[in-house]
Amino acid sequence: MSDRLVLALPSKGRLREQCANLLARAGLVVSKSGSGRGYQGDIAQLPGVEVNFVSSAEIAQLLKSGKAHLGITGEDLLRETIADCDERITFLRPCGFGQADVVVAVPAVWIDVRRMCDLEEMATSFRRVHARRMRVATKYMNLARRFFAQNGVTGYRIVESLGATEGAPAALLAELIVDITTTGATLRANGLKVLEDGVILKSQANLVSSNAAPWSPELRGLAREVAERLTA
Amino acid sequence: MAAEAAQKVEALAAQAQRLMAAFMRAGYEQIAPAIIQPAGLFLDVVGEALRARTYVFTDPDGEELCLRPDLTVPTCRLHLARHPAGNVRARYCYSGPAFRYQPGGATSAHPSEFRQAGIESFASVDREQDDAAVLTLIVEALRDAGMREFQLRLGDLGLFTALLDAVSMPQRWRRRLRHHFWRPEAFRAELARLTSREALRVHGLPRQLLDALDPAQPQEAQRLVEAYLEEAGLELVGTRTLPEITDRLLADAADARETPLTPATAALIERYTGLKAPAREAAGQIEALIRPHKLDLGAALAAFRRRLDVLAEAGVDWQGATFAAEFGRSLEYYTGFVFEIVAPELGPNSPVAGGGRYDSLLADVGAPAPVPAVGSCIHTERLLTVLFGEAP
Repeated sequence: MSDRLVLALPSKGRLREQCANLLARAGLVVSKSGSGRGYQGDIAQLPGVEVNFVSSAEIAQLLKSGKAHLGITGEDLLRETIADCDERITFLRPCGFGQADVVVAVPAVWIDVRRMCDLEEMATSFRRVHARRMRVATKYMNLARRFFAQNGVTGYRIVESLGATEGAPAALLAELIVDITTTGATLRANGLKVLEDGVILKSQANLVSSNAAPWSPELRGLAREVAERLTA
Repeated sequence: MAAEAAQKVEALAAQAQRLMAAFMRAGYEQIAPAIIQPAGLFLDVVGEALRARTYVFTDPDGEELCLRPDLTVPTCRLHLARHPAGNVRARYCYSGPAFRYQPGGATSAHPSEFRQAGIESFASVDREQDDAAVLTLIVEALRDAGMREFQLRLGDLGLFTALLDAVSMPQRWRRRLRHHFWRPEAFRAELARLTSREALRVHGLPRQLLDALDPAQPQEAQRLVEAYLEEAGLELVGTRTLPEITDRLLADAADARETPLTPATAALIERYTGLKAPAREAAGQIEALIRPHKLDLGAALAAFRRRLDVLAEAGVDWQGATFAAEFGRSLEYYTGFVFEIVAPELGPNSPVAGGGRYDSLLADVGAPAPVPAVGSCIHTERLLTVLFGEAP
C-alpha cells in the first residue's frame, strides 16, 4: 500500500458535484491522475493525499476494511453497510448536503396505523387475513431490521428493492416501505405517509475516518489538516 | 471458516453416530432434509429476527433460497411432503449442518456453520407423555455420548396461556399479550397500556368518527370509514382492504370503551412472568400466586405436574432443575413445554441442547390444521467441547 492518505469520494451524481464544491470552497483542487482511468486524483495543495473516486456503496466498504483513511458519503449508507458503524468509523464533520431522512412509510389510507406499535398490531391481523407476513420493501435491510426490532415489530418480511421503492405498495409488491425522503413529496404522490415515530435516521453526507485504516502519526496529522480545511 | 483439525472431524462424526444410534434405538426414523431451502416459506415462518441471521441467496433462475438456519422447519416440510395433512404419527431424527450468520463474528461456541443432531415427534395424542419422552431421549443420548453433569432449565408457555385465559379481558388483549411474550419491554408497555384508561383512548383520529363506530354494527362502521376516507381524499392504496382497516378501527373503538385491567390483575401477570423457582416448587408457587385472585388454571397446571411425574418415572432427575415463566427461547414458534440443557463448562448462553413443543408450526408450514409437535436438538460442537475440551 502507498503511504499516502486515501480519501474516498463519490464518483458520480449530485454527491460528486457537492463534494467538488466543498473542496473548492476550501481552496482544494482535485486533478485526475494515474493511469488515466479517471478514478484517482491528486490535490495540488495536499500532495500526501490520494483521492479515490468510487460509488457511494463502495466508499462504505473501503472505510470498513480500512483501504481508505477518509471518505465522504451519506450516514445512511454507512450505518446500513457497517453493522458496528460507531466502532469502525469516526464521524468527523457533517457536510451540510445530501440531507435525507430514512423513514417508515405506509399507505396514507391506513388511518388505523399511526405509530410503530400500531404496525405490530396490524401485522398480526394482516397475517390472519392474508396467511402471510406483511412485506416491507427497502434497500435499507439492516437499518429497517434494527429499527423494527427496537420497536418490537416482528411480524414482517423484507423484500429487497433497488429502485422506485415508493411505488411498491401501489404495485402490490409490498405493504409498506423503508426509504429515504427529503421533502416527502414523492411519498405523498404515491399515496404514502410517514409514521409519527417512523423516522429511523436523519442522514446527510459526512466526512468520516476509518478506524481500521493503517494510520501513522503523519497520516493523522494530514487527516486533521483535511478536516480543518473543510470545516473552515 | 477455519479448516478443522482432522481429529475434530473424526470425533464429531463418531459422536454424531452415537447420538443417532440412541435416537434410532428409540424408534426414530433417520432422515436427511434438504440443506438448501426455499427462502420465502422458511422466512415467513421463522420471522425477520432469524432471517437477519440466515444466509439467503438467489439462484440463476432468480429463485430466493437459503441455507437452513435449523433443521426443525425442514423436517416439517419433509413430513408434509409425505403426509400433506400432517396428522400422521411420525418420529424423525437427523444429524447435519445448519448455518447462521453470527453478528460480531463467529466463535467456537457460536459458529456460523454447526452440526445439529435432533429429534422431532409429530401428531402424538398425549402431549405431556410425548414432551417427557423427547426430553428423556435427549438426556439419554447425551449420557450415551459421555456427558455427566448438566443443569436442566424448564418453562411452559401453556401455563402463561392458561393464566391469560383465566383472567377476565377481551380475547384480542390476550392475543396481544401472548404475542409480546417474547419481548419483555414490549410486553410491559402493552400491559401498562391495558391498565390505563387514558392510554386506551385513541389519539390522532377524529373523536367523532371513533365514537360513531359500533363494534356491533360492522357494516355501518365500514360505511362511516369509507365516507371519512372520501372526505379526507384518501384513496385505497395497496393490499389492505376497507374491511381490514375498519376492523382495526373497531378494535381501537372497542378498546377505548373497555374497562382497563385492574392494577391487581396487571401485577399478577407481571409477577407470574417474573417467576423463577426450582422446578419442584414451581406449581406450588404458581398456585400461591393465583389463590388470592380466585383463578383456576385447571388443566394446564395438572399437565405441568403430570409431565414432571412422567419424567421422574422415565428416570430423568429434575430435582435440581429450574423453572422460569419467562424462560426465553429466541425462536417464537414454541407454544408449550420448553427446555434447555446447560453444561457448567459453557454456561447458560451456550446451551448444549434445547427444544420444546410447537403445535402451530406445521400449520404455518402448510398443514390444513394444527398438528401437535415437539422436538429437540443437540448442538454437537458444544457437546464435543464439553466432553473433550477446546480442540487444539
